[in-house]
Amino acid sequence: MDCAQFESIVHEIERPGTEGFALRESALQHAELCDRCVRLMIDAEALDAGLRAVMSAAAAQKAPARMEAELIAELRQRRAALLGRRVRLQIAALGTAAAALLALGFSLHHWVARTRDVAARVASPPAQNPVPTAGAAPNVVDADDSEYASFQPLPYADDPSTIEDGAVVRVEMPRAALASFGLPVAAMESDGTVRADLIVSADGTPQAIRLVSQSSTNSE
Amino acid sequence: MTQTTDFGDALLLRRIAGGDEDAFAEVYRRKHPAIYRFALHMTGNASVAEDVTQEVFMALIRDPHRFDPARGTLGGFLFGVARNHLRKRWEQDRRLVAFDGGADEFPANGSSNGHARESIARGGLNGGGNGRGLFVQAPAWDEFAATETVGRVRQAISTLPENYREVVVLCELEEMSYEEAASVLDCPVGTVRSRLHRARAMLVEKLREPRPVRRASAVGE
Repeated sequence: MDCAQFESIVHEIERPGTEGFALRESALQHAELCDRCVRLMIDAEALDAGLRAVMSAAAAQKAPARMEAELIAELRQRRAALLGRRVRLQIAALGTAAAALLALGFSLHHWVARTRDVAARVASPPAQNPVPTAGAAPNVVDADDSEYASFQPLPYADDPSTIEDGAVVRVEMPRAALASFGLPVAAMESDGTVRADLIVSADGTPQAIRLVSQSSTNSE
Repeated sequence: MTQTTDFGDALLLRRIAGGDEDAFAEVYRRKHPAIYRFALHMTGNASVAEDVTQEVFMALIRDPHRFDPARGTLGGFLFGVARNHLRKRWEQDRRLVAFDGGADEFPANGSSNGHARESIARGGLNGGGNGRGLFVQAPAWDEFAATETVGRVRQAISTLPENYREVVVLCELEEMSYEEAASVLDCPVGTVRSRLHRARAMLVEKLREPRPVRRASAVGE
C-alpha cells in the first residue's frame, strides 16, 4: 500500500463493510513505516473518538413528551373528521342510490304503461274500419272478428300477436305497392291509391296490413 | 439506526391510516429520537429540531400513504421528510445554519460513556505522543474535558457545508451505512462515501485550529 491509497481509505479503516476496513491490516502495516500516514491515522482515530463522544452525549436526546400527546390529539381529530366525511359520503351514496331506484321504477312504470297502450291499440283497431266493398283488395275483414284477425301478415313478417312494442299506422299508398307486400292485385286495379293500416314494429318494419275501406275513410 | 422490516412498517402505517393511535405511538416512540437528533445536529437548535420532528410526524398523520415500502425503509423515509423540512427552513431563514453557542443548545455532556472516553484517550486527544493530535492541551479526564471535546466537535460539524454535514450526521452520529445514507439523501453510494471522506478531512482541519481565546479564558476562570 502506498500513501495515496492509505489516504483514500484512512477515514474508513474502522468502518465495517467498507474498502478501508477490508484493507485495515495492510494500512496499519503501512502506517508503521510512514510518519505522515501514522499522523493521518491518529487524527482519524481522534476524530472518531470525538464523534463518538458527540453521539454519546446526544444519545438520550429526544423531543419533549408533550409532542407525542399533541400528535396523538391531531391523529384523533383527523380520524373524527375522516369518520364524519365517511358518514357524509355514505349518506350521499344512499341518497343517490335511492334516487336512481326511483328513476328506474318510474321508467319501468312508464314503459309498462306504454306497452299496454300499444297492445290495446293493436288489440282494438279503430271501429270505423269497414268491410271493403266488392272488388276491393282482399283480406279486409271485420275488426270485431278477433284481435289480429283483420290484419294480413306480410311475407317474412313476425306473428303480429308476438310484437311487444309496435304501433298501428294509417298510410295511403299506391295500389300497385300492395303487390310489393305480396298481396294479389289485379292488373286492372293497379292504378290509384289505397288507404291501409300497418302494424309497424318498434324498429319501423311493417308487420301486417289491413286495408281501410273508402267509405270508412270518407266518413272520417 | 434501528430499522424494522418493511412489512412491519407498512402494516403499522396502514393502521395509522385507519386512525390507530397505538400504531402511531409505536412508530413515534421508535423513530422520533433519531429524527430529533438529526434535526438537532443539523441546526444546533433544539426549538427548530422540535418543530421539524413535529412536522415530520404530522406529515405521517396527514398522508401515511406517501411512504412506499418498495422504495426504502420507514426510517429512511422519515429522515428524507426531515431533510426536506430543514432545507425549506434554510431557504426561509439562512440564519438557522449558524451554530453560535457551541454546546449551548445541547444538554451538558453528562452521558458520555466509558467507551468514548477510552477511545479519546487511545486516539488523538493526547496527540498520540507526537504533539500534533486534534485535541492537544486537553485538560485532565474529567467531565469538563469531555464537554469541551463534545462542544468542539459539534462546533466543527456545524460549520460544515450542508451536504457534508448531513453525511457526517447520518453516517457518523446516526451510524447509518453508506447505502442507508444514500437512500435518505437520494444520491449514489459513491457520492456518500466521497462526501464523508471530504467532510472528515475538513473536520480534522477544523479541529487542528487553535481553540478560540474566549474558550481558553473561560477555562481559566
